[in-house]
Amino acid sequence: MFDDIAFWVSYLTNGKHLTWYASFQFTIIAALLGGALAVIFGLTGATLKNSRFWPLRMIGTVYSAIVRGVPDVLFFLFFPLAFEQGVEWFVASQVCTPEMIAAQSAPWPPCKEANWFLGTPEYLILASVSLGLVYGAFATNVIHGAMRSVPAGQLEAARAYGMSESQVLWRVHIRQMWVYALPGLSNVWMLIIKATSLLSLLQIADIVLWADRLGAPNFLPTVGLVHDDWRWRYYLVLFVFYILVTWLSERAFDAITRRVGRGILSEAHG
Amino acid sequence: MKEVEPVTSGSTPVVELRNLHKSFGDLEVLKGISFIAREGEVISLIGSSGSGKSTLLRCINMLEVPNQGDVLIDGEAIVLKGDAHHRQIGDEGQIRRIRSELGMVFQSFNLWAHMTVLENVMEAPLIVQKRNRAEVEAEARAMLDKVGIGSKADAYPSQLSGGQQQRAAIARALCINPRVMLFDEPTSALDPELEQEVLRVIKLLADEGRTMILVTHDMDFARSVSDRVIFLHQGLIEEEGTPDEVFGATRSGRLKQFLNAANHG
Repeated sequence: MFDDIAFWVSYLTNGKHLTWYASFQFTIIAALLGGALAVIFGLTGATLKNSRFWPLRMIGTVYSAIVRGVPDVLFFLFFPLAFEQGVEWFVASQVCTPEMIAAQSAPWPPCKEANWFLGTPEYLILASVSLGLVYGAFATNVIHGAMRSVPAGQLEAARAYGMSESQVLWRVHIRQMWVYALPGLSNVWMLIIKATSLLSLLQIADIVLWADRLGAPNFLPTVGLVHDDWRWRYYLVLFVFYILVTWLSERAFDAITRRVGRGILSEAHG
Repeated sequence: MKEVEPVTSGSTPVVELRNLHKSFGDLEVLKGISFIAREGEVISLIGSSGSGKSTLLRCINMLEVPNQGDVLIDGEAIVLKGDAHHRQIGDEGQIRRIRSELGMVFQSFNLWAHMTVLENVMEAPLIVQKRNRAEVEAEARAMLDKVGIGSKADAYPSQLSGGQQQRAAIARALCINPRVMLFDEPTSALDPELEQEVLRVIKLLADEGRTMILVTHDMDFARSVSDRVIFLHQGLIEEEGTPDEVFGATRSGRLKQFLNAANHG
């Protein structure tokens, strides 16, 4: 009995498990940062779609139409790579001399000095930006629709009392928009949370990758077989984690909806 | 708030409209309208729906930009640029300053739903006029008491009846210390039993000597509250004068017809 407990304590606190536990932060950071960026891109996209100038309107419309249609896995692979190589191309055009280029044996980048090494923090940021871009396109549509749901008379009243266009936008229009946008945004948020399971595509050692590694049959030369295929147990832990996050998110969205809906949603709670 | 001043033809013009034209697409709604509202005057705009009276009122604070003609507030012409259908506000700073002194009351109240009644009343004085918060709050509460909903200060508009909402909207207009109050059919969205509480407040303001221009369907009210009544027909002023002249000694056949219809409607 005591041996059992001792085994489990030492097994579950070994170095690889501690790294696994720590890797939950990548998922949480990617979700929060990606979510925040999605809202920012969504607000920007919706503002562009509402613009009086047709080129800006086009940009907003094209962004929300095209990016929504691209599979997120594909965009996840495409964007960080394209961004990395774009930066390398730009750096190369600034620093590479003919001698450096001649010295380079690999096909890319043009010279060694232009190589940009990406570690986990950089990939995490690129992953968050990818999430923000993809789901910002959905948020654009949600927010654009929500902006149109704000009663026009209240915007007119704000103008009639001398508010500037930006005061009307921020103090009345966007402030009231949230009530109509939140149900849609909560869907987008759930999709972002699901998409965080793709982080390992960007060489981030995330919770999914570690669950896979830790669950695989574990054989140590000194001990023999520690356990056979336990992956489903590790996946189960991830299920529970994602369900917990979902539950917390719903609670949070309920609270936010109540807060921003004060006076606008039905006044059952006074 | 303000001393009652006798209405004399010599007092200052607060609002002056010069030859206003306004079209929506091919539909010409205003076909050249001029009038002057002087300090302390109460003017009612009457006419059948589609006569252009609401559009005319909305041209005063440029919620609608007239295609032709000028609007002067306290003798200052509102700057417009462009011609005809491309005409637009020419000086954002000027229009915001002028609007901050015109208290508009809408048919559908248009209170900001996410703010309490008190916040609604304090918003423009704080944000647009940038006045001191404590002073504004004291004045806002006084205005809410004046219109009889002081106890509703912390309620949201959706928790109020239509009549209470419209009185809150009147308090919002009063709290900016307006040069002129503009009422756009203030009781048309209200049940008949709620109309009276709003009309009483407007009457109170008229008796204080405030300058007011109101668009109304209510002929009895127009008669009792106005110094001058203007009858619009198809975008033109068909008849104007004191309530006694307009209602008692009607000259225009169209106005007679309109008044008959209004009485039997």
